[in-house]
Amino acid sequence: MSKHQVTRRQFLSYTLTGVGGFMAAGMLMPMVRFAVDPVLKGEAAGSYHPTTQKVADLTDEPVRVDFTYKQKDAWYESDVTATAWVYKDKGTGKIVALSPICKHLGCTVNWNTNPDHPNQFFCPCHFGRYEKDGKNIPGTPPPQPLDLYPFKEKGGYLYLGKPQPRTEV
Amino acid sequence: MKWIPQDIETFLNAKEYIDTAVIPLVPLSFEEDVKQSAEMSEFITLLTGYIERQFTGRIVLLPSFTYLTHKNMDFLLTELTNWKSSVEQGGFKHIFYVTSDIGWKEYEDILGPSLLWIPSIPLEKMEEMQKWIIVESQGKQLLNLFSRKWRENE
Repeated sequence: MSKHQVTRRQFLSYTLTGVGGFMAAGMLMPMVRFAVDPVLKGEAAGSYHPTTQKVADLTDEPVRVDFTYKQKDAWYESDVTATAWVYKDKGTGKIVALSPICKHLGCTVNWNTNPDHPNQFFCPCHFGRYEKDGKNIPGTPPPQPLDLYPFKEKGGYLYLGKPQPRTEV
Repeated sequence: MKWIPQDIETFLNAKEYIDTAVIPLVPLSFEEDVKQSAEMSEFITLLTGYIERQFTGRIVLLPSFTYLTHKNMDFLLTELTNWKSSVEQGGFKHIFYVTSDIGWKEYEDILGPSLLWIPSIPLEKMEEMQKWIIVESQGKQLLNLFSRKWRENE
């Protein structure tokens, strides 16, 4: 068993490489973190918010689901209350969660409030109308169907994401 | 629409659809009713905010008409009339004043049905969700008034 000799030169170069490596890592890590930050943020924006609606209670009739979540607006953090119209389609058994924001100028639409046009979403501002699946009715002001919430089921409750615009139903 | 540049941009592009202005009337006081003044301000801000959210596409929520209480009412009325004529020139067909200040009730015959007086409810000790429910129940009554007024003028 030969005794491995470490010269002074070798010792110094090992130590310097090690210490230098740590210092470089200390400088580069935050830089890398800054660079990839937008990617990580993107994931957070797609997060789902809990609601008090039980998935099992959904029927063919749209119900209003209100839910509150925290939103950061510059330095000001506030509670935002959002609304969705949710129903379970009788034919396909699929859950449909619609945003109540009218695609015309942004009023809040309601289900079945116009006696002349039952079973439609109705906008009180300029009398825009939508079918139950959110499709805008031609001849009324809205140019597009209502936005659709992506949703998840967790522990029997409905979780809603960020409304997504559609061009076709 | 709120009184912010993005919304005003939309307003300028869709003027034919947006014909209603909402002006909150908010009293300011530093005397014994200082707390009441703050309470009215909170309530009216939340209430008009709710109306704005429901009717975004047809109304513009203007900045509050804020005034000192105990100020000469005739002076305030003249000032409010000035606001009114400016707002009308700005292209609005309907103007609604929303307030909790009982002082305006006397002038109902001058301001007409545009004056919406709603007693303020102290919200200070409430949870966020509870506040929302109270404001919504009060706001719903006002929404009907708006709709009725619009239908009358169809």
